Amino acid sequence: MVHTGEGPAPRADGDDPVVLSLRSVSKRYGDVVALRGISLTLRRGEAVGYLGPNGAGKTTTLKILAGLARPDSGEVSVAGVRHDGSHRARDSLGVLVETPGVLPYMRGTDLLSHVAEVRGLRVAERAAAVRQAADRLGVGDVLSRPLGKLSTGQLRRVQLAATLVGAPDILLLDEPTLGLDPAARVDLRALLRQLRNEGHTLFLTTHLVEDVQEVCDRVLFLREGRLVGDEAIRRDGRASDGHRTLVVRTLETVDLARVSGALPSGTTVLRRSDHEVAVTFEGDEGEQRRVLGALVTAGVGVVEATADRPDLAARYMALVGREEVP
Amino acid sequence: MTIGALRANLRWEALRWLRSQRLFLLTIPVVAGPIGSALAFLYFHVPDRSTALILGIFVTGGLSAIVVLDLASLMVGEDLSRRANLFHFTLPEPRWTILGGRFVLVLGAGLGAYAAGAALVWGLASLLVPSPSGASPPLLDPLHLAEGVAALLLFLGAATVTASILTRSASEALVAGVLSAVVVAAATGYLLLQGQLTMVLPLVLLLSALVAVGWSLVAYGRLES
Repeated sequence: MVHTGEGPAPRADGDDPVVLSLRSVSKRYGDVVALRGISLTLRRGEAVGYLGPNGAGKTTTLKILAGLARPDSGEVSVAGVRHDGSHRARDSLGVLVETPGVLPYMRGTDLLSHVAEVRGLRVAERAAAVRQAADRLGVGDVLSRPLGKLSTGQLRRVQLAATLVGAPDILLLDEPTLGLDPAARVDLRALLRQLRNEGHTLFLTTHLVEDVQEVCDRVLFLREGRLVGDEAIRRDGRASDGHRTLVVRTLETVDLARVSGALPSGTTVLRRSDHEVAVTFEGDEGEQRRVLGALVTAGVGVVEATADRPDLAARYMALVGREEVP
Repeated sequence: MTIGALRANLRWEALRWLRSQRLFLLTIPVVAGPIGSALAFLYFHVPDRSTALILGIFVTGGLSAIVVLDLASLMVGEDLSRRANLFHFTLPEPRWTILGGRFVLVLGAGLGAYAAGAALVWGLASLLVPSPSGASPPLLDPLHLAEGVAALLLFLGAATVTASILTRSASEALVAGVLSAVVVAAATGYLLLQGQLTMVLPLVLLLSALVAVGWSLVAYGRLES
C-alpha cells in the first residue's frame, strides 16, 4: 500500500509489513551517477545493513529515504506514505546522518528537548523522553555541556540519543558507530540489537562488516550505485546464500589474472596473503571438486584447501571489492 | 503541529541566542542608541528637537541594522555552513516552519529593540533639546523617518536571509546585507538631494522584503543537503 499523502499518515505499525521502499530510484549529481535504479524494501521489525565502499551511494540512499535529497526518478515510500519530501513521511523516522554539523555552543539537552517538542510530545512527557533516550546511550552526564566540548564519541552518542527521542518506529542510521571507541561500539551494537528486538525497523549504512554481522538480519551490497547483493545474515555472521569458499594455501604466489581464466564462470578469487587465496563459488560438493581440479590444472601448487561457507567480509569483497574476478 | 513547530523553532532560535551570548546584541540599540544620541545632542549643540530626533533615529536605526544583519545572517547561514541544518531537516516538521519561526524572532526582536531605542531617543530629545519657535523646518519628518527605518530593517533582514540561502554562508550573507544597506543609503541620499524622498521608498523596501521572504521560504524548502 502506498499512501498518497492525503489524510492522516499511517504509522509503521499498521498492517502493511513493508515499511520502507525504493522503486527504481536513480540520482545524479552533475556528471556523477550516485544511484542507478535502486529498488529495495524493508519489512517491519527488520534490521537491514547497507554495505558498500565509499562513494557507492549509501549516504545518498539514506538521504533520499530521509527526505534530504530528491531522486531524479523512481518512487520512495516510508511507512506507507509516498515520500515526496513532505515532513509527514518523517513522522515514523528517526534519522542519523553521517556528518551532521553541530552548533558548538548548544547543549545536548537543547537538541533532545527540541526533538521532543517538534515530535509533538506534551510538555509533561518531554523531560521523561529526553531522560530515557539519554539513559539508553549513557549520555545523561554530558547533556548539559556545550556540544563543542564533547569528544567525537560522546557527540555521536548524543546525536543518536536525539534520534531516539519520541521512539520513532524506523531508524535510518548512517555509520552509527563512526568515531566510537571499541567499547562504545560494542555497547552501541548491543543497543541496536535491543532496538531491533523491541520491534524497531533498522536501516544501517556502514562500511563496517562487524556492525552488520552483529546487528542485522539482512544485508544489501551496493556497488557504484547498484545493488549487487541481498542476502540474509545468519546469527553466526555468515551469509546464507549458498555460496562457498575454498581457502587454498599454495606453494607460490598465485597469478590471479592467469588463474581466474582457468576457473568456472561465476567464481571469484581473492588474495588473502602471498601464499593463500580464497576462491568463492556457488554450488555443491561436485562444483567444489571441479574448482579445486581447475586450480591444479592451472598449475597452482596446492598445499592445503579448506572448504568453508564464505563469511560476510569475503562476500563483501567478492561482490563489491576490487580484487574480484569478473 | 504547524503552530507547535513554529513555536519550537522560535524557542530554538532564542535558546541559540542565549547559548551563543548573542542575546546581548539586542541591548545595543536600546542602550547605546539613546546614550550615543544624547551625547551627540549635547556635544554638537543640536539646535532644535526635530533635528535631534533625526540624528537619534539614524544612530539607533544604524545600530539596529547591524544587529538585524548579524542575527539574520547567522540564523540560516551558520546552520548551512556547519551542516547543522541536516539535524533539523530530518525532523517531522515543514521546513517553512524552521525558517519562519526563526525569522519571526529575528525581525520581531530586531524591530522591538529598535522601537525601544527610538522611543528612548524621543524622550531624551524632548528632555535635552529645546524646540525654539521660528526654527527652520527639519530636513525630514522624524516620524516618517522612524517608519522608514523600520521598513529598512525588514528589508535588510529579508535580503540577508535570502543571501544566506544562496551562499550557504553567514559571512557572505552579512556582506550581501551590508551591500544592500549601502545601496539603500545611496538611493535615499540621491532622492533626498533631488527633493523626491517620499514614503514610496519604504513601501518599495517592504514589498521587496516580502518578495525576498517568499522566495526564501520556497528555496529553503527545496534545499538539498
